[in-house]
Amino acid sequence: MEEVSSIVVGILVLILGFTGLVLASGALDNEMYIFGLSLAGFAVIFEIGLIKAHFDRSDAARRGGAGSHV
Amino acid sequence: MSEATMDGFAAASAPAVPRAVVYNEVIVKKFVIAAMFWAVVAFLVGTVLALQLAWPAFNLGFSFTNFGRLRPVHTSAAIFAFGGSALFATSFYVVQRTCRARLFGGEALHNFIFWGYQLFIVMAALSYVMGFSRGQEYSEPEWHLTIFLVIVWVAYAIVFIGTVLMREEEHIYVANWFYMAFILTVAVLVLVNNVAVPISIYSAKGYTVYSGVQNALIQWWYGHNAVGFFLTAAFLGMMYYFVPKQAGRPIYSYRLSVVHFWSLVFMYIWAGPHHLHYTALPDWAQTLGMVFSIILWMPSWGGMINGLMTLSGAWDKLRTDPALRFSVTAVGFYGMSTFEGPVMSIRSVNALSHYTDWTIGHVHSGALGWVAFICFGAIYYLVPILWKRSGLYSIKLVSWHFWIATLGIVLYITSMWVAGIMQGLMWRAYDQFGFLQYSFSESVNAVHPYYVIRALGGVAFVSGALIMVYNLIMTVCSSTTERRDSAVAGG
Repeated sequence: MEEVSSIVVGILVLILGFTGLVLASGALDNEMYIFGLSLAGFAVIFEIGLIKAHFDRSDAARRGGAGSHV
Repeated sequence: MSEATMDGFAAASAPAVPRAVVYNEVIVKKFVIAAMFWAVVAFLVGTVLALQLAWPAFNLGFSFTNFGRLRPVHTSAAIFAFGGSALFATSFYVVQRTCRARLFGGEALHNFIFWGYQLFIVMAALSYVMGFSRGQEYSEPEWHLTIFLVIVWVAYAIVFIGTVLMREEEHIYVANWFYMAFILTVAVLVLVNNVAVPISIYSAKGYTVYSGVQNALIQWWYGHNAVGFFLTAAFLGMMYYFVPKQAGRPIYSYRLSVVHFWSLVFMYIWAGPHHLHYTALPDWAQTLGMVFSIILWMPSWGGMINGLMTLSGAWDKLRTDPALRFSVTAVGFYGMSTFEGPVMSIRSVNALSHYTDWTIGHVHSGALGWVAFICFGAIYYLVPILWKRSGLYSIKLVSWHFWIATLGIVLYITSMWVAGIMQGLMWRAYDQFGFLQYSFSESVNAVHPYYVIRALGGVAFVSGALIMVYNLIMTVCSSTTERRDSAVAGG
């Protein structure tokens, strides 16, 4: 469940991040520019978090225990 | 008999041992921390606004600190940031325990809900101070923020309803019904009320598709049901789990709780037009809203009685457990504000109360007395359990918080009652020649002392919240609250 969830949510956030970049690139006002960049920044940080969580789970499995992050 | 069948027989004949469920408490902790952070922000901004109304110099002369831009920051921070985060936290906590199932959807989805919701709150607040708003109360976010909120909300619905569907308990506990009504109805309300046409896909500005009185009706169908399903039904879910837990007693009447649920959700949805008395809305629609508001007395008071009577045989705990005192006082305020609301919906009463500070006092008796207090009670209960501590750092500080906050509410709502009724009477007063007796500015001068008292109430309430934050931080960090046994925390 965790890996499937990470992939699905990862793709959703990726789409949101790209949408943010598109909105920021053509923004007609400050609000849309800030929102677009914030959405893209959010997506980048969230994806890094997903990658970290994946390797944390792998490390925990190698050590033979459950993930300590739960 | 095959080996597999024999194994099945052995399993069937063995005593049933409930499978251990590892709950996701990390997401609950995150939302608890967010709730306390946003509580302080909401109360601080509210106090600044109260000071601005008493002394306009507090507007500071900047566009982004004026009352018009900070007001939606305050309401959104209080309702959606503080109240919303508390609801996410408690709903995720309650649904896991009452369904005996881990949250559905995986950690990635849970984290997306948390961080996505926080991003929405920050972006919405930023847009308000920058001057972007739909100009509709409690529905200020422009179209792009609404779409992002809907994505996060759908994820929330998937996790909550998915957990209910995956439950290992046959029965769906009543608190979950209230939470589900909240999730589904808020989704419908936001989707319908926020339909807008942007002037460009690259512009934050959009215009609602509704016009005139249709827009007003849909706005207040949304607005009143935001009160009914966000600020009432959802927090009733909180009440139905945490009051029995804190009191150590079962709900007074489970049957009454089910009647409470169905009658409340059926009647609330019709009450919105009472916000539009004496407007272009047809009279029959105004009367419909008024009648359903008055009928709402019955489920509201049924629920209040159910909450209070749950303490039968445990009233003595109010002397020793100030956290329970918060929850029970909240139920009292719920009864009081749901009595006052229908009174104010009566057309002839509304003629006096509408557009006055009486409405502001009414809203805050619900928001501070009911919503904030039930959250405080639940959070005081949750923090030692979630962080595996032996108890709260200081019960005395909880008691100080309770009395300071209660004093703050009393100052707030009594001053607004007096100010509001005075405004209403001054605005309708005629002299012997048929001219208005008072100018508008005279009514503003008359209420000034009460605005100062309201600001004092706000200072008291935010001081209590800061005491709570200190107490909770010390509960988590202090060595005096470390558990000395290996017992699993209750809950």
